[in-house]
Amino acid sequence: MNILVSYNWLKEYLQTNLSAEDFAAKTTNAGNSVEYIENMAHRFDNMVVGEITNIKDHPNADRLKIAEVKIGTMKKVEIVCGGVNLRVDMKVAVALPGSKVIWHGEGEPVELHETEVRGVKSYGMICAAAELGFPKYPQGEKDIWDLTNVTTEKAGVPLYNALGMDDAVFDIEVTSNRPDAASIIGQAREGSACTGDKFLWQAKDVMPDGIARAKVEVAVRETELCPKYEAVLLDNVKVGPSPWWLQKRLLLSGHRPINNIVDVTNYVLHEYGQPLHAFDADKLDHGIVVRKAEKGEKFLALDGNEYDLSKDMLVVADHAKPIAIAGVMGGEETGTTVETTRVILEAATFNPVSVRRTARALNLHSDSSAQFERGLSTQSTRPALARAVELIKEIADAQVASEVTSVQAEPYQREAFPFDPKEAKALMGVALSDHEMISILERLGFEVKEAGSNYEVKVPYWRDHDIENKVDLVEEIARVYGYEKIPSILPAGEIDPEHQDQTIVWERRVKELLRGSGLSETYAMSFISGKELSNAGYDPEMSVKLQNPLASDLEYMRPCLIPTMLTTIEKNQRMFPEAQLFELAPIYLPNKEDIPNHKMQLLMAIYEKDGACAFTKAKGILERLMREAGVRQYRFERPESSDSSPLPRGRSGGGLECLLHPTRSANVWVGNHEHVGRIGEVDKQVLNAFGIEQSVILIDLDFDALVPHLSLAKTYTPIPLYPEVKRDLAFVLDRTVEFSQIEAKLKEASGLLREVELFDTYCGSGVEAGKKSLAVHLTFRLADRTLEADEVDEEIAKLRNVLQEQFSATMRS
Amino acid sequence: MKEEFEQLKDLAQEALKSVLDRDKLEVLKIEFLGRKGKMAELMKQIVNVADEERKLIGALANEVKTGLESAFSAKEQELAGAEEAGRAEKEWLDISEPGAWSKEGHLHPVTTAIGEISDIFARLGFACVRAPEVEWDYYAFESLNMPPDHPARDDWETFFIADGAQTAQGKGEKQGKMVLTPHTSNSQNREMAKGKLPIRMININRTYRRQSDVSHTPMFHQFEGLMIDQGVTIAHLKGVLDYFARTYFGAERKTRLRPHHFRFTEPSFEIDISCGVCQGHASSDSTCRLCKAGWLELGGAGMVHPNVIRAGGLDPEKYTGFAFGWGIERTLMMREGMQVDDIRTLYRNDLRFVKQF
Repeated sequence: MNILVSYNWLKEYLQTNLSAEDFAAKTTNAGNSVEYIENMAHRFDNMVVGEITNIKDHPNADRLKIAEVKIGTMKKVEIVCGGVNLRVDMKVAVALPGSKVIWHGEGEPVELHETEVRGVKSYGMICAAAELGFPKYPQGEKDIWDLTNVTTEKAGVPLYNALGMDDAVFDIEVTSNRPDAASIIGQAREGSACTGDKFLWQAKDVMPDGIARAKVEVAVRETELCPKYEAVLLDNVKVGPSPWWLQKRLLLSGHRPINNIVDVTNYVLHEYGQPLHAFDADKLDHGIVVRKAEKGEKFLALDGNEYDLSKDMLVVADHAKPIAIAGVMGGEETGTTVETTRVILEAATFNPVSVRRTARALNLHSDSSAQFERGLSTQSTRPALARAVELIKEIADAQVASEVTSVQAEPYQREAFPFDPKEAKALMGVALSDHEMISILERLGFEVKEAGSNYEVKVPYWRDHDIENKVDLVEEIARVYGYEKIPSILPAGEIDPEHQDQTIVWERRVKELLRGSGLSETYAMSFISGKELSNAGYDPEMSVKLQNPLASDLEYMRPCLIPTMLTTIEKNQRMFPEAQLFELAPIYLPNKEDIPNHKMQLLMAIYEKDGACAFTKAKGILERLMREAGVRQYRFERPESSDSSPLPRGRSGGGLECLLHPTRSANVWVGNHEHVGRIGEVDKQVLNAFGIEQSVILIDLDFDALVPHLSLAKTYTPIPLYPEVKRDLAFVLDRTVEFSQIEAKLKEASGLLREVELFDTYCGSGVEAGKKSLAVHLTFRLADRTLEADEVDEEIAKLRNVLQEQFSATMRS
Repeated sequence: MKEEFEQLKDLAQEALKSVLDRDKLEVLKIEFLGRKGKMAELMKQIVNVADEERKLIGALANEVKTGLESAFSAKEQELAGAEEAGRAEKEWLDISEPGAWSKEGHLHPVTTAIGEISDIFARLGFACVRAPEVEWDYYAFESLNMPPDHPARDDWETFFIADGAQTAQGKGEKQGKMVLTPHTSNSQNREMAKGKLPIRMININRTYRRQSDVSHTPMFHQFEGLMIDQGVTIAHLKGVLDYFARTYFGAERKTRLRPHHFRFTEPSFEIDISCGVCQGHASSDSTCRLCKAGWLELGGAGMVHPNVIRAGGLDPEKYTGFAFGWGIERTLMMREGMQVDDIRTLYRNDLRFVKQF
C-alpha cells in the first residue's frame, strides 16, 4: 500500500536541505520506494488569484454568467462561468490560457485556451477545487472554489503562492510489515537514517487543563482483540471547518476534509500512523464498552450504510448500542457535528487479524482498518492522542476535561535481541565497522547496549510486530547502508552434474519436436467445470475439487487434458476448420493417502473434416515423434473388443476407452510391454456434447511412462555397398485386411525384400464394394553383390503368389 | 580416297554452319563422327587402299578427323556460350512471390520463456526441479515462516481443496489443509528435506491465486531459485541476479535491489531492472510509457529466513542461502515489450494468439 507524503510536512520532523529528488532517491534505496514525485507548484502554472468585480448574465445561456475578474492591480478580464455560488468581491482561482485543468474533475489535465463560450469570449476559467486536482475538497457540486477565507493574497498573485503549494508530494510504497512507515513521522525517521540529517520528533503526553473533573469510563471485555484502549474527554469544542493549512495537508495526503475534529483525527493518523476516533460525548449512553457484537446487531456507519454485524466482530459500544466497528469505522449517530461541544477521543490497539476479517466480511475498508491490519504497538496510542489534543485545542478552542483513561491488558514488554557484528558482516558480504552498524540502528530508534563481547539491541515500540529475529537487524543495517554498495559476486563451488529431472528435460525436447512437426501448443487453465468433465464421460466426483473456486464453473482440477482440449477446438473451429494442437501439462488424481498424484499428460489433437485422413496424419505425427525422440520399439494395437465396453470413468488412465471410435483407435505400446496411451478418433456423441463439427483424432500419452523410453542415443547401420532394385505392385483385396499383415507376410516370403512402402490406397468406383486397391513400392537388395534383374523377377513372382494365395488378392499389375 | 576425305570435311563444315542448337549439333556429330558415322565408314575403306598410299591417306584421315572434332567442339562451345548468355532472360523468376512454407508449428510464449530462463540458470549450475502444485499448507505456508493468521492463508487469496485435510487420512492433521500453491516457494522446504547439499535449484511451475482481471489470471507461472550452502551472502545473490538480468534482458541493463518485505526471507528485496524503453531516464519531469522513474519491478528475492532453513532440517547457524522468484508472464512481456492488454489472453487458446509465436 502506498502513502502520500508532503515534503514540507515531513520537513517539520527532519532538518534537511536535500532537494525533493535527492531525498526521494536516498529514501528509495533504503526501501521507501518513491514511485512518483509531484511538484505541486507545476499544477498551478498560469493560475492566479482573481477577484470578482462584476457579474453579468450570459446573453445566450441561462445557466452561465459573465464574470468580470480582476487578475492584477490594473488588469481585468471577462470569464464565462457557471458556478452557482459566484458573487461580487469573491476571491476565486483563475486558470489563465496555457494552464492545465482537470475538466469537471475527471480525467487527465487539459490545457486551456482563450475561447468563446456560446458566443462570448472567455479569458480562461474560474475553477472548482476538483478542477485543480482536489476532488475531495468540500464544496457544492456546481460551486466554484471560494478562496475568500483561504487566502489573504491579492488579485493577481500566483495561485501556488496564495495556496501555499510550494511543496512536493511523494507517492511511497510501504510494505505490510511497516505500519510505522505509513506515516509522516515514520518517513522522516527513515529519511534521517538514510541521509544522516537530524530527526526532530519527540513524543508528548496529554496535559489536562486545570483540574480534570470528569472521567471517561472504559470497560474492555475482549482484551485479546483490544490489548489497549485510551480515551480522553474534551470540552468547549467548537466544531467547524478546519483552517486551510490543515485542509491542504489532508488534501495532499488524499484525505477528505470534513470538520476540524474529524480532520484532526485524520491528520494525526497520517502524521503518526495511529488511527483515532472522535465521539460526540453527549450522544453516548454512559461509558465505553469494547465487546463482541451481538447476534443480529445492526450498525449505521459513517459512510451512511447499515451493516449486519456477526458475533465474531469486535465493536466499541456504549451501554446501549455499538458506536463503532472497532478499528474499521465509527457510527453515524455518535459522530461529531456542528452541534457537538464535548468530544471523547479514542486511541486504541485492535487485533490485526480481527480487523482484517471484519473489514473483509463487511466489505468495508478504511484508512484506519488498513493501518490496524498491519499490526500496531500498544505504545503508540498516547503520543498520537497527545498530538490530537494539542491540535484540537489549537483549532477548535477545546479544553481537556478529563485524565486519559488507559486500559492495557498486559504490561508492555520491549523486545530485545542479541547482535553479533561478525554474523551481520558474513551475511552481507561486506566489511562494515561496528560503529557504522550501530549508528544505523540508533538512527532508526533502536537502543544498542554492549553485552559481553557482543551487543544487545532493544526494539523501538513502533517496530513491535516487525522485528522478530536477530537477522531482522541485519536487514535494517544492510538496507540503510545501501544494497547498491554491496558487490555483485557469482558464487563459486561445485556444480552437480547428475541432478537432472529427466521429465523436465524431455518436456522441452518433445515440445520442440512437436513444433517441428507443425503442431501448435495450447495452455489451458488447470481448472475445469463439472460439465466439461461429464461431457467427456468423466465423473466429476472422482476429481480433485476446490473448496473456494473463483467461479462455480471452475471448481475441479483437471484429471485429464482431453475435455479442455475439446473446448479449445470448439472455440477455434470456425476460424480454423483444421488444426494440429498439443498440450503437455500436469493432471491431478485424487489420492487417499496424500496430496493428489501429479502426472504429466501429453495430448495431441488433430482435427479436420475427414476423420480417416486426420487419423493418418495423427499416426504419422506420433511415429515421427517416436523416431525423433529415440523410441526404438513401439507398436499400435487395435483395442480388444472388451476394451471398448464402458469402463469406470474419471479414474487414472480410464475414461478414454469409451471416448474413442471403436474401429478407429489403437493402443500405443512402447518397449517390451509398456502401454503408454492411445490414439483414436473421438466418439461422435462426445463431439456433439462439445459442439464440435469436425473430426478429431486424439493422441493421449502418459508422459511419465513414456520418458524412460526416450533417448538421445543414435544407432548407425553401414550404408549398403550395392544398389537396390525397386519394383511396384498393385492389387485388390478385402477392405479389412491390415497392411501390417501384408507387409509381414511379404517380408517373410522374400529374403531379398528390404522395404514395403504403401503409396496408394483406394476404394470407390472401379473397385468392387468391400474391397480396396493397394499399391506398394518394393525395395530389394543384397548385402554382398548387385542383384540381377531376373533374380528380382523371381522374387516378384513369389510375392504375387503370396498375395493371391494368402490374401485372395487380385493383381492389377 | 583423298578427295573423298576432303569432300567429307567440306560437307561437315558446311553442315556445321547452319546448326543453331545443341541437339542438332549432337545429331550431326553422330552422323559424321559417331561409331557408325560417315567418318568411320570412310576410314574402314582405308584398308582397300594400295600399300604405298595407305600411310599418306591414313595421315590425312587423322588430320581430317582431328580437324572435324575440333570444329565440332568449337561449335559446341559457341552454342553453349550463346545459350548461357540467354539463360538469365529465359529463366527469370518472380522473387516477390511468397515462399512455400513447410508446415509451421508454434510453442506457447510461456514455454519459450521457461526454456530460456532455465538455460540461463543451468549455466550457473541451478538444476530444474519440480514441486507439487496441489500442496500441503505446511510446505506452502507453515514451513515458510508464515504465521497461521497471515492474509495469504485466508481463503479469499488462496485456493483450498475441498475436504483436503480429511481426504488424506493421517497426514492431514500434521500438514494442515491442502492448497493450490500461491507461489513456487513450497519447493524450498521440499528441496532442503532431500538433505543433499549444497543446493542450487530452479523450480518453474504453475501457481494459483484467486484473482482474475486484465492483469491477473488465477493460474500463472512463477520461477523460484534457491541456493543454500555455507557462506552464501547478499553479494552472491546480487551476482546471480545480475547475471540473469543481463543475459535475459541485455548486457546494458542494470539491476538494483530495493528493500522489501517477505515472510520467508530476511533481508528481503525487490529486484528492479533499468527500463529498456527509456533506458532509465524517466523521472518526475519526463515520463515513460512502461516504467516508474526508470526502473521496472522484476520480482522478489532475499536471504532465506533462519526459520525456513530450520524447518528444512538444516542448521541456520551453519548454512545460509538466498531465494528469488517471480512471474514468468510478467518477465516475458517485459522483455518482448509485448502489449497484451488482457493477460488472460495467454490462457484462452485462441489460435489467432497462439499462431503468432
